[in-house]
Parts: sequence; C-alpha cells; structure tokens
Amino acid sequence: MKTKLTLIIVVLFMTGFTYAQTADEIVNNYFENTGGAEAWGNLKSMKIQAKVNQGGMEIPLEIVSMKDGRQYTKISLQGNSFMQGVFDGETLWNMNFQSMKAEKADAEATANQKLDANDFPYDLYNYKEKGYKLELVGEEKVEGTDTYKLKLTKEPISVDGAKVDKVSFYYFDKDNFIILMQEEEILSGPAKGNISQVVFSDYDEVDGLYFPFSMTQGIKDGQSQPIIIESIVANPVVDESLFAFPSGQ
Amino acid sequence: MKRIILSFLAIAYSTFLLAQEEIILEGKELFGDLKARQIGPALMSGRIIDLEAHPTNNKIIYVGTAGGGVWKSNDGGSSFNPIFDEHAQSIGVVAVDPTDPDKTIWVGTGEIWTRNSVSIGDGLYKSTDGGVNWDKIGFDKSERISSIEINPNNGNEVYVGVLGALWSDSDERGVYKTIDGGKTWSKILYSDAKTGCTDLVMDPKDPNILYASMWEFRRTAWSFSSGGLNSALYKSTDAGKTWNKIHNGFPKGKLGRIGFALAPSNSNILYSVIESEENKDKGLYRSDDGGKNWKHLNNDFGLVVRPFYFSRIVVDPRNPDIVVKGGLFGSISRDGGKTFKGLGQMHPDIHDILFDINDSDRMYSGTDGGVYRSWNGGTTFEIVANLPVSQFYHISIDDKEPYNIYGGLQDNGSWYGPSSSPGGIEARDWNVLGFGDGFRVLKHPTKDIVYSEMQGAENVWRYDLVKKRTKTIQPLPVKGDPKLRFNWNAPMAISKHQPDRFYMGSQFLHKSEDMGNTWTKISPDLTTNDPTKQDQSKSGGLSVDNSGAENHTTIFTIAESPIDEKVIWVGTDDGNVQITKDGGKVWTNTVKNIPGLPANTWCYHIEASVHDKGTAYAVFEGHTYGDMNTYVYKTSDYGATWKSIVTPEIKGFARNIQEDYVQPDLLFLGTEFGLFITVDGGKHWNRFTNNMPAAAVHYIELSEKTNDLILGTHGRGIIIIDDISPLREINQKVLNENVHFFATKPTIISEETNFGGTSTEMEFVGPNPNRDAKIVYYLKKRHTFGKMTMDVYDKDGNHVIDLSPGKSKGINVVTWNYHIRQPKLAKGKSFSFGGFTSPRVEAGTYRVVMRKGKESYETQIELVNDPNSLLTDAERKQLHETTMKLYDMSEQLAYMVYKIDATVEKADQVMTISKKGNAAAKPVADKMNALKEKLVVTTGDNYVGTAEPQLREKLSDLYSKIASGFDVPSSSEIDNLSLLEGQYNDAKAEFEKIMGKEVSKMNKFMGEAQIDPLVFKSFESFIED
Repeated sequence: MKTKLTLIIVVLFMTGFTYAQTADEIVNNYFENTGGAEAWGNLKSMKIQAKVNQGGMEIPLEIVSMKDGRQYTKISLQGNSFMQGVFDGETLWNMNFQSMKAEKADAEATANQKLDANDFPYDLYNYKEKGYKLELVGEEKVEGTDTYKLKLTKEPISVDGAKVDKVSFYYFDKDNFIILMQEEEILSGPAKGNISQVVFSDYDEVDGLYFPFSMTQGIKDGQSQPIIIESIVANPVVDESLFAFPSGQ
Repeated sequence: MKRIILSFLAIAYSTFLLAQEEIILEGKELFGDLKARQIGPALMSGRIIDLEAHPTNNKIIYVGTAGGGVWKSNDGGSSFNPIFDEHAQSIGVVAVDPTDPDKTIWVGTGEIWTRNSVSIGDGLYKSTDGGVNWDKIGFDKSERISSIEINPNNGNEVYVGVLGALWSDSDERGVYKTIDGGKTWSKILYSDAKTGCTDLVMDPKDPNILYASMWEFRRTAWSFSSGGLNSALYKSTDAGKTWNKIHNGFPKGKLGRIGFALAPSNSNILYSVIESEENKDKGLYRSDDGGKNWKHLNNDFGLVVRPFYFSRIVVDPRNPDIVVKGGLFGSISRDGGKTFKGLGQMHPDIHDILFDINDSDRMYSGTDGGVYRSWNGGTTFEIVANLPVSQFYHISIDDKEPYNIYGGLQDNGSWYGPSSSPGGIEARDWNVLGFGDGFRVLKHPTKDIVYSEMQGAENVWRYDLVKKRTKTIQPLPVKGDPKLRFNWNAPMAISKHQPDRFYMGSQFLHKSEDMGNTWTKISPDLTTNDPTKQDQSKSGGLSVDNSGAENHTTIFTIAESPIDEKVIWVGTDDGNVQITKDGGKVWTNTVKNIPGLPANTWCYHIEASVHDKGTAYAVFEGHTYGDMNTYVYKTSDYGATWKSIVTPEIKGFARNIQEDYVQPDLLFLGTEFGLFITVDGGKHWNRFTNNMPAAAVHYIELSEKTNDLILGTHGRGIIIIDDISPLREINQKVLNENVHFFATKPTIISEETNFGGTSTEMEFVGPNPNRDAKIVYYLKKRHTFGKMTMDVYDKDGNHVIDLSPGKSKGINVVTWNYHIRQPKLAKGKSFSFGGFTSPRVEAGTYRVVMRKGKESYETQIELVNDPNSLLTDAERKQLHETTMKLYDMSEQLAYMVYKIDATVEKADQVMTISKKGNAAAKPVADKMNALKEKLVVTTGDNYVGTAEPQLREKLSDLYSKIASGFDVPSSSEIDNLSLLEGQYNDAKAEFEKIMGKEVSKMNKFMGEAQIDPLVFKSFESFIED
C-alpha cells in the first residue's frame, strides 16, 4: 500500500513539473539522442534514395550531400537522369527539362547556396561555431505532440538585390528532442510570404545515426507532398564527376 | 490521521484513474488532418479598415480588414497573404516600426469604423519577424484600437490610441505610452468611460509632439450616438505628459468624431474633419500653424457624410495641399482643402487611402469592397482580386451536385456559387442575387427559385434562376396592421414539409403557402414591443443616421421543426424565445425558463432538432449590451426547461449552432472568434484551427449528401470542412484504441473531364474538394520512430500501390487517386509524354494494410463507378483491358530495349578484345542498334527539338489516349492498336532472330574466350529496378 501511495504521489508530482530547457540543451539533446555529436561530426556524406508520387506518377530521386557542401539531386524519368540543385562548391546548376542540358542558376541563388555549404549534415550542427543565433521561442503542438519551438537565424541571404535574414523554426518533440517539423518563410518567388513546412517521421538508424525516413513538404495550411525514403547510406561511394557543371554540351 | 490519509489517497487514486480513462483531446490533437477549405469569394472582397506602407520598401504593404485579419503584400499590392490568422480578425490599425521596418510590426485589433455590424478585437499584438509570429502585448479589454505611433528614433517608445468599447462604458480607452517596447504602459490621456481616441498622430519631425482626437460615442442595438462635450482635439508638445485642447476656430458646443491628419512634408499644416451641432460648421478645417488657429474650408457632402464611418483624412507625403478624405465615394483636393472632386470609380465606402512612398500617382484605397489600386493619382482604380475577405451574414446550401452556397454580404449584395468547379472556384463561378446589403438567401427546396433580400426587407426578391424573372415579395402591411418592423437582417425560412411555404418575420411571423404571393400573419407581436427601442429617426447623435441598421424589437430567427410542421420556433432580437406547437394558434414565450441568461439578450439562432421534435438549441448574444459571454442552451421539452451547454473552452460570443444529422451529440458552434466543435453534446468543446482563421462565424450549414460543414464567416468568405463524418465515430472507446479506421463512403470514380479554369495569375481561386479515395484513421499517439507504411491490395491479394500514411496524433486522412504507377518505359533519348499517364484501377473493394513497427492494421475501401457514366459494364471492361494491354506492351517493349542495350554493351566490350571478338560482336551491335532505332527515339530533346516518334512513343501515345479517357476504344484506336501490335510483334521476332543468330555466335566466342556470359535480369526485377 505504501509503495503504491508513494508511486502515485511521485507520478502526480512529476507530471506537474517540467524542466526549463535552453535552446542549446534542446539541440544538444537532439544530436545526442540521434547518435551523438561526435558521430554526426564524423559523417562525411550521405546518399538518400527516395520517391515522390505525383497524381499516380512515381518519380525516383537520389539525393547526395557532402560535408564540403557539394550536393545533387538526381531525378530519374523514363531511364533518363535529370540533375537538379547540383552544387560543386562554386557553381549551382540544374538540368533543363526541355533542352535536357545543364544551365547555371542565377548569381543570387548560387551565392545563397554557398552560404549553406557549411551546413552539413544540418544547419543546427555546430550552429554556434558558424555564428548562427538560436533561440527558444515557445512551445507548440505539432501533429498533436508537445514541442519546443526554436528559431535559428543564419547569415542573411540575398533576395532580389536586398539582404534578408534567413530564419528557420524547428519543432522538437518535448519527450525525446527529435525534430518533428521545420518551418521557413518563403523569401522569394510567387509564393513569397507563405510559410513552408517539412514534417519528419519514421526515424530509423543508419550506422548509429538516426535519420527521418519520411518527410512531407508543403505550404502551411496548403498542399503537401510526402517523400518516401527507401534508403539512406552514410558515407557512400559517390561519383565525384557528377557535381561538375558539364562543359561543351 | 490515518483515516484522513486514506481518504485523501482514495481521492487521489480515483482522480488518477479517471484521468487515465477519459481521453480529452484538444483542437488539432483531435482534428488531425481534417482541414478547412477557404473558397472565398474574393471578387467583391470585403470591408477594409486600415492600409499601411513599409517606410522604405514600396513593395511591402499591409492591409487591416474588418473581419479577415491582416494581409501582407510583398509585390507592391499585386497579391496579398494572410499573416494574422490565429488572432482576432477584426483590425483597427497596422503600424510598421520605422526603426526596424522589415521586422517589427504592431497590430491593434478591433475595427474603428463603428457600424452596427462591427466585430470586436481583443488587444494589441507585435511581431518581430515581419509578421510570421505574433505576441500578444495586452489591452485585452480594449475592443478597438485606432492608432499606434512609434518614435522614429526609438522603437521602444510607442503610443497607442484606444477607441475602446462601442457598446458599453469602459475605462480601457484613451492614449497609452510605453518606453520599453510594450512591456509596461501608462495611460497618458483619458476623458471618461464613453470617450475614446480616434486618431493619434506623432509629428514625424519631432516625436515629442503628438495630436490626439477624442470621441464620445455609444451604440446600442437600437440606436447610435455620436458626439458630446468630451469630444476634442488635443496636442502635447512634451511626449504626452501634458495635453491641451487646440480648438481655436473650431465650432462651439458638442463635437462628434474628429478625423485628424498632419502633412508629413510640413508639420505645421494640419487638417481636421469635424462633426458638430450645426450643419454649416461641419466639415474640413485647416491649420497652418501647428494647431494654434483653424480655418473652416469645406462642408461638401463628401466631407461630412457619416462621420462614424468615414473620418479619415490622408495627406500626400510630398505635397501638403493634396488631401484625400474617405467617404461614400472618397474625395481629393489639390488646393489645400478648399475644393474637392470625387475619387475614381470603385466600390463605395472608402475608409482609408495610402500614397506610395515614392510616387504619389500610385494610390491604394480600402473600401467596403476590398482594396483598390490607382496608377494615376486616383482618377481610375482597379480592384485587388485576391483578397477573400467577404463578410457573410448568412448562408444556405442546396442539394445539387456539386451543391451551391447562397449568402448575403455586408454592402455587397447576395450571391450564390458552387462548392467545386473546373479548375477551382473562381470569380466567374459566382452569381449575383440582389442589391444593397445582402443577408439571408434561401433556395426553394424543389424549384429553381431563390429568395433573397436587402436591408430591413426593403426588397425581398423571388428569383427564377432558369427563366431569369424577379418579383419582390416582402410582406406588406394590411388594414389594421401597425408599422411592420423588420430587422436590418430580416429573417426568412422555408419548410421541410411544404416546398412552396415561405416564412418571414417582422414583429409578427408571416407565412406564405405560395412562395410569397399571399401572406398570413400567424402570430401576435412576438417581441417585447418596447417603444423606447423603436425611435430610430433620432438615432445617430450629431449626425442623424437612420439607415434602418438600428431597427429593433423584431423577430430575428425562425425555425420550423423538420419533424413536425406545426412546431415553429421564433427568436427575437430583444430576447424572446417563442414556440407554437399548433402551427401558430398558440404561442408561448419560453425565455423565462432559461437560467443564467440576462434579460433581452438577442436570440440569434434557434436550431430545431432533426432527431426529436421537442428538442432545440438556442444561441444568444449580448454584445450590444457589452456582454461578450457565450450563451448556448438546449431544451428537450419544447422549451419548458433549458440547459446551458457552454464551457470555458469556448472563446467569443456565439451566433450559430448546427446539429449533426446523424450523431445528436455532435454540434458545431460559430462564435466571434471561430468554430468550436463538441462530440459529446457540449461537455467539452474543441476549437477547430486547421486552415481555419479566428474569423467570426455567422452561420453554419451541414450538407446531408456530402457531410461537408459549410461556414459563412464575416470576413473570410465561405469556409468548408469536407466530410466531417469521422467525428461521428469519436467516443472514448475509439480514443482509447491505438489505431481506429473510420468508415468511409464508397469513392466514385468520376468520369467528368474538363479543361480547367480561366482565372488570371493574380485572381483568387478557391480550391476544390479532394474527390480521391480516402483512408481515414485515428492514431492515439504520433508516430515518430521506425517504419510506418501503407499498402493497397486488390481483391485477389495483388499489391496495387503503396501510400504515405499520416503520422499525426488524432485523425489522419490519406488519399489515393485510384491510379497505379505509370508504366515503366523503354529508355530513350527524350521523354515519351504518354508514358507519364497512370492507369486507373477498376471499381471494387480494396484492402488497405497499415504496418507500424511490428503491428499491422487493416481496413477496406470501396471504389464505385460513376453513376453518370456513359459506359456499359462491358464497354468499361474493354476500356480497362485495352489500357492494360497497352500498359503491358509498353513495359514489355521497355524490357526488350533493356535487353538490347545490355547486349550492345556486351558487344561493345567484346569488340575491343580482339579482331576475332570484333568479328563476332560487331554484327550484334549493328543489328541491335538498327533494331533499337525503330523502337525508341535516340536523338532530340523534350521540346521542339523532338525526334520522329518510334514504336515506344506511338504505343505510349495510344496508351495515354485510351487510359486517360472514359470511352470505349474507338474503331480507329483499335485499328491503330493492331498496327502497333504488328510492329511490336515484328520487332520481337527480329530481336529473337538476332538473339538466335548473331548473339549466339557472339556467345560462342565469349565462351571460348572465357568472357562472362550475357545475363539478363528477369522481367520482374527489371520493372522493380
């Protein structure tokens, strides 16, 4: 009887009591709980095989990102590969779907991409060393789950000739410090002013690190598109030639 | 002692157990993926209160609306996004901090153009990230904030002008100041509990100089009063420490609302527009010495019209003599206020004007019908076509497919439009049904006839939608009648039992059995008939304002029981709830049976139950007495007893309730701050926030056919929540399951096709409902770790497709467009666009398996053919078989091309080994390459450099043509198919021939040379790859 009483009191006490977390602690917990900061630091590259389904049309994707900021997304359609968002450290380029030739992205997009070159594996990793600002701005529910809402401010980017703050909001599950959602204000293009959202789930282990195997991207309160991740390879063998802008095409 | 501990323990333990057992989900937790659909309309838009510019970036403009929140443009007013959806949608003022204009924005809620139908605000908000996130700063009881002024040298020094409560005394009014960015405030100017600040203006060249106009005003449900001895214009030169009246040259006696402006280019030049006792003194005053002296310049109609609605003056930022005044049409002076001409044509009732920060020819205007842009100094205007802030007073729906929504709007007539339309719900889909202010619009239950009305039932139209004929049918007084008193928003009702029956309410209930041609009074005066609330001719205060908007002691809601036509409920604006059980012979006022309801509280809506004829819900609201409480009651005995079903979870006073047709305890409540839902008859209420702004919900309908919930909001147009049926199944048992699949209706494979809409880029288009098959389930806990998958199988157990399951705690909705993946096409140089078509599956029952960790959960969904199909079953079968034959041929061709490519690759390798190898492999490469050129395009691009189509392209074009339509394959298509089939078979034979001859030879050589043999993947693994 006594044990039961103690237990109840402890339970009641604990549920009415929450620890005040700092933004830094939350992010540290996240990296600890997903494999450890050191292990994340040792990661050199990753390759994601995924697919999206658009109205019945299945589109396979291969997404590769490297520690030095190089990256590409390869879309396969009818046996052809379309390289998109390719960055070799200097040049950002995409393959035009009509002409099927590579074209350089505009100077602003390239300059903004360069700023992200140090954000492997995530912009939150080593955020202090990178000079980013991180704040705990509140607590909110995401998909019915209590979360901490953190605001990350990175270097300002260029938008139509003006410098604009690059801000992301991250929502961490209060129970386990896993990221459930990321939000950003769309800063350019016709959707400017809307909020983009990426919702994460299906976290699973790859070589000791936890990655989300399900991501749903969309506009807040609008349409969204799930990305089904079939595999993630840590430190894969990568064809280095794929990053370079094809010359003489 | 021991006993005390034990009983404490028992209580603690039982509480603990209860908490374990009963699951109460809040808001988003429960509603999960159920999402609102905002369909506008935007073509007539809605009332705008305040426009605000960014001080240095003319691409950024803010709009504060009467009931639709704050909208921000990043493209110079071409398009706008809502940025304030989670907070009170009635806006008084938007201000940008000049010291941090990209980030710091202040919003004062509560509109300030105090017409009868205004909404309320709930305080002051601040954003420090350009409007993405908002913090509430305070002034919870302010109701209306008119002005925010920020020191251009110190963003922490902010002044706020609070107009305050419209309907009651309140001391949260006047001018407030903070010097710490809003943490603490001091009240620096206050007159009395009836007088608030309408305009607070800081001299941009000297932030210590402030001007404040104070207004004594009050509304009741039956009157309006503008003016008094406390109305005044004040000036402070010491940052608000002391204030002095600056009335030298102003009219004597009582003053009304004073609109004030300072010329930004010359701080000594001030303008005031004044409401006063004598008509000759009203109008525009100008001071050229910072307010020491004033001169009366003009009392044209445009300067004196309805001061409570139009007291806004705006001075060109570059030219002190260019002055614009809000008004019925708006006026502009280019001679310092001496003379005015009208602004260019736009929707009447102009509330604010904004000059572009760089170019005075660019102007923006906020009206009762949206925001307008001018490029030529106000001579012509064009509407912003993407601000869906329409203000519905009332809505109804019909039973067509898709159903139409009917409703009336503040100052924007009456309309109807569809709940879905090709390409989305566009401006062109809406049809006008009346003039003036629109209120209730009802469709005849069986005929193509619509009833609509304008204010005070001045006209009630009966409109034949087919023959395009209109007749006005409002009840007229007959011999012996007193003056008929109709509410501004006069009630009308139709009958479930007699299609031609039509009710209207004045102080009497009028009934017509012939669609309004003949009227019979079936009640005595059902109101309090209080004469003190009936003299509207003197309403308005210093400016008489007898528009009919204050008509009172009238019937406001009428409900005939859907079960018994003799049972009729009537609610009045002065607080009576009357019932007859004999079709109008005997009436009983049941309001005295309602506990806790203040006397004379406006009965806004009565919902007669569809489940039981003695049951009804009554919604009351007392905001016109300053009572912002929620009042919702239920009776189950014809009004003999009433019970409140309100909990503290509800925010805002309520106007409407909708009962579910199936689950009696499922109720939907519309309040001043949004939509609230209960699944347990009112024990707990949940706020619905998924894409649902905190807009005032004035009326709710529920479609019996689709189970869609349709909301008429007063500021955000029509908002629909498609298919609320999962909520019917929510109960404690379901909530305690880890996974619960909800029943879904069979999905119709719609055969309708269209070519989309016609809207231009900047026009608002309301989204259509999603007509895909839906898998709807409840998750007790959000899924975060490990794989969660969803697979669909046909009746034979074949895997059809994998879907992405939702992971939210609460209700998840996964959609499937009943297509499988597209065929795998042969690899060519460019796209074969036909190959991007995915084929439909056949109607039938499909098994859905959701796997979550080690657990697996199953449900079934059903697809049915379109009841309007033009196909017979045999034809549909032929269509499907032909589609799949072409699908399979395309994939077989792809496999053949894969084998050709693999063979050529090998041959290329062998050729390099030796001369002999070259001799053995070259014929293989040559023949195979020659064959391939006939099968797929090997040159060109995806646009106009495209190559001549080959077999792959021809097959997939025919496949796509047949697969995407709903017609039996035509003879021409069949002939084409047999042509292609012949070519395919020839190619296959040719391939086999090369394999048998040239490849055999090469294989032989490879065997001798000990080269790895040519091995093909199986067809299945090729397809999977």
